Amino acid sequence: MGNSLRRSICRYSERYSGGCETSSRRYVKERDADMIRVQDLSKSFADLKRGQVKALDSVSFEVKPGEIFGLLGPNGAGKTTCLRVLSTVLKPTGGLAEVAGYSVVDHPAQVRANIGFMSGNTGIYDRMTGREMVEYFGRLYGINEVELQTRIDDIIEMLQMEDVAELLGSKMSTGMKQKVSIARTIIHDPPVLIFDEPTSGLDVLVARAVLKTIELLKDQGKSIIFSTHIMREVEKLCDRIAVIYKGQILASGSVKELEERYNEPDMEELFFELIRLHEAELAEQKPIEQNG
Amino acid sequence: MNWRNIRLIFMREVRDLLRDRRTLFMVFMMPLLLYPALGIGMAQMMLSYREKVRTVVVLGEEHLPPPPLIVEGKFAGRWFSEAKETSQLEVVTPETVNSLKDQLPENSGEGVHTREQEEYERQQTLVQHARDLQKVNNQLQKLEQEYEQLVVQERTERSEDASTEEEASSGKPAPKPETPLVELQKKITQTRQELSDLFASSQMQVLILVPEGFAEAIEKTTQLIAERNITEEGNAVSVPSLTVLHNNADQKSQIAYSRVKTVLALWEADILKERLTAARLPESITTPVNPKSVDLASQQELSANVWGTIIPSLLIIMAMTGAFYPAVDLAAGEKERGTMETLLICPASRTEIVWGKFFTVLSFSISTAILNLVSIGFTTKYMVSLGGGGTVGMLGVITPPSFGAICWVVILLIPISALFSALSFALATFARSSKEGQYYLTPMLAVTTGLTVFCASPAVEITPFYSIMPVIGVGLLLKGLLSSPDVSTMLVYVLPVLITSTGYSLLALWWAIDQFGREDVLFREAERFSIVLWIRQLLREKQATPTFAEAGLCFLLIMLLMFATMKISRDMMDPIEKSAAPMVMLKLLLIHQVALIATPALIMGVMLARNFRLTFKLYWPSFPYLLVGAVLPFILHPLVIELSQNLQWFFPPLPEQVEQTLALMQSDSINPWLLLLTFAVAPAICEELAFRGFILSGLAHHGRLGIAIVFSSLAFGLMHMIPQQVFNASLLGLVLGLLCLRSHSLLPGVLFHFVNNAIEVVRELFHEQIQSSISPGNPFVTFTETEYHYHWPTMVICFVLASALIYWLYQHPSKQAQAALKSSTG
Repeated sequence: MGNSLRRSICRYSERYSGGCETSSRRYVKERDADMIRVQDLSKSFADLKRGQVKALDSVSFEVKPGEIFGLLGPNGAGKTTCLRVLSTVLKPTGGLAEVAGYSVVDHPAQVRANIGFMSGNTGIYDRMTGREMVEYFGRLYGINEVELQTRIDDIIEMLQMEDVAELLGSKMSTGMKQKVSIARTIIHDPPVLIFDEPTSGLDVLVARAVLKTIELLKDQGKSIIFSTHIMREVEKLCDRIAVIYKGQILASGSVKELEERYNEPDMEELFFELIRLHEAELAEQKPIEQNG
Repeated sequence: MNWRNIRLIFMREVRDLLRDRRTLFMVFMMPLLLYPALGIGMAQMMLSYREKVRTVVVLGEEHLPPPPLIVEGKFAGRWFSEAKETSQLEVVTPETVNSLKDQLPENSGEGVHTREQEEYERQQTLVQHARDLQKVNNQLQKLEQEYEQLVVQERTERSEDASTEEEASSGKPAPKPETPLVELQKKITQTRQELSDLFASSQMQVLILVPEGFAEAIEKTTQLIAERNITEEGNAVSVPSLTVLHNNADQKSQIAYSRVKTVLALWEADILKERLTAARLPESITTPVNPKSVDLASQQELSANVWGTIIPSLLIIMAMTGAFYPAVDLAAGEKERGTMETLLICPASRTEIVWGKFFTVLSFSISTAILNLVSIGFTTKYMVSLGGGGTVGMLGVITPPSFGAICWVVILLIPISALFSALSFALATFARSSKEGQYYLTPMLAVTTGLTVFCASPAVEITPFYSIMPVIGVGLLLKGLLSSPDVSTMLVYVLPVLITSTGYSLLALWWAIDQFGREDVLFREAERFSIVLWIRQLLREKQATPTFAEAGLCFLLIMLLMFATMKISRDMMDPIEKSAAPMVMLKLLLIHQVALIATPALIMGVMLARNFRLTFKLYWPSFPYLLVGAVLPFILHPLVIELSQNLQWFFPPLPEQVEQTLALMQSDSINPWLLLLTFAVAPAICEELAFRGFILSGLAHHGRLGIAIVFSSLAFGLMHMIPQQVFNASLLGLVLGLLCLRSHSLLPGVLFHFVNNAIEVVRELFHEQIQSSISPGNPFVTFTETEYHYHWPTMVICFVLASALIYWLYQHPSKQAQAALKSSTG
């Protein structure tokens, strides 16, 4: 399956980006230019129970073309908030976030045009078929009608979703819905892709196919952010990762770097260790805060 | 804004809704099926409807004069317009009971209950009850006579007393013990109650009591009249009165009585006719004028009247429900199904998304309203053509509304649908789920129904003031256009109604867009709401200044308190004598200011905000702001006066109470300082504390100062209740809000408010001196009859000065105000 997928993706990108190799090369040239740049990004909001909550506390990272950046963290760590800020759905309360050179605060429309975003909260319409759904978003992205139709055909072939194209959203299985979502995410061929826990709730087969697709998109030279709480996916897929917890990045670097830095070959152990250390640090700080 | 995106979103939403079975049913199937189904149901109800026979008991039938009123246990057929109606009233008399008894088989055993026996027993008890009633009624009659005599007696005594006491002139007359009267009154009430209870349990609907010698008295009178033997003093035989007992609160009795009444009236007319014939007088003597009424209404106009009442109400309700369900599906439903974020990350801006969705809701609202109207129209017309008789037949032949009328319906439907669409959409965006969205329907429906009932009331017509009210304006205009015979008088209102309605719709849409742009609304967690948590958060984690919602709550609380105490203060005013009234009124006004306006705001300030001083802006302002506060009222005064005088035609006339209060200011009996305290000092402090203190601070919590000023001044205006004052106060509220926020202090506002009110008080107090000092040819101001007229030089000077001062205020926030703004937005 992997090979056929690779073939069809190459064909897809040949048509739109001047070939598999060239497309990568095109981005390779600009490799120094970060497609995503996040600096001291903060986001806080009022919560009924906890008062003012800092969901993001001066988070910084950047992602280059042809790179998969993994955001690793438990539920509620601030992954989704961070990605929502990047997709301009939420406004940051501090710091800077840029996508393809556009600030999310000043040029939200351009950011949205350069981004493909998929998360557990970006569902698909129940009363639309797969094809209509992708078509609708393609039109909203302003792709002209002729190009849009061939692109949809190619994506349908690439994601092997012929059976989904004419099915209403309400009749689809979770895997089918995920395929439509991916198709929706890449319809406008954006340089930046964000996948927020794309494999949650999927069976092993579909999850594997999704991961393969992401890998191939990376080969096309896309800048990809991939958030998850599953260690194995990170190890397999990501070039660099950041461990995020309680709105802060505890550590970042390539998997190898992290293993060396903390002298812990097992990612899962490393993850727990980082969180343990952070909790200990917080416990130390607290009495001081109270005294002050 | 990109219209391509809006069109794309619109097309998708329409297709989406059309694929939804529930929506399809609500919008298209319901009107097409429901009304015909209702029509069939109604037709069946009418077929199976039979009027029940009501029971009338007559005692003393034998004393009735001719012509015969009752024939064979029924009222004679000649007293009804249709002979068959006689069977709707059953007459029971002692004679009918006797005749029943004769029919009974002689030897019927005690245990045997034939139908005849039952009927006999029923009638017998009826007659028995009637006899009891007669007794109690006689008692009551006697008591009432006694009472009347006693009253007359007392009155004469009192007038004698008064004349003697006037000579003594010793203060207040000692109240006379009125025990016999009071006691008698009590007895009468008791007896009346007894009579009423007895009647209610008696199973009869009407009781006619014919007194003895009734026929003879009537005959004697007729004879006397025929012999021309009646003098002015009235030596005629006194005719004992025929009593008809009934209970109007009981529907059955009411119906029966209305029938009996017409029967008796016709019968009486017959007796009169005989009397006239006996006296050899023409029949026309009873109708010397006999006006002839000519109804010019054509069938079409009658129908137009019917349409004018029905269509506006239906249209408004249908436009609302037609907008509501799609709006909930498009906003709350989208959130619930998890597609909201998908839409938010597409290139279309939020404004475009709202417009696209708004147009979808609008088109569904319009089509729902039109489909419902058409369906109701056709069903009704068909029913009428079927019916002929019965309730529907009374409507007569209904012609369809004219083409022009239909055009007006469609034109005016657009703004009203737009308003409801935007409003529903904003509410639905606020809701977390479709279920929560549905909850908002009830309050909206209640308010809308109230407005439509108001519009449909026959006496209500469109006025300039109503024409700018939301919903009411459109409803009344449509009513006028459909039912008034001369449409041209209504045309003046078309433009104002359309403009204001569009304005309201845009305002609602702006709200919807605002809602759609807010993270806390779009991503409201679907957590369970806990009152305990909420209150704890309010009290423990209170913020420096109150929040937007708390400000709204404060305003509502003040309004509620004012509403609740309305009756109390009226009750306090009622029994007070005229001379003491002004003092009491002043006291009430003072209490009102302190207790209802300042206290709630202060208490909420202590309870809900951490920084009391900041909330109420208790800082010392810099001098220029104080100066502006002191001078600006003088400059604005002529402008406000002229404006309100020129807009007098627009507002409904002042209620009496306000006139009283205004007159109070002119009364000489009151210490001018007290007047100043009540009308200037107290409002300046109390109202400023509430509206520029707590409410403005809360509204400005998010740093949106413009909105805060507008809302606080609207709240300030609305508190004044009376349209004119609402208008004036809202305008002044804008200036006061700006003054407060720019100076970062309450004091300039207090000063402004005090000076503004004091000018009014002083002007009323010294109106004679002021008037005499104004020469008739004064170029700046003259006085005519009751009003001051400021002329254009004054107006121009004041306008220029006021604009300059307000512009200066706008441009110069104090340092503290700038700092506060930074901290609230940062």
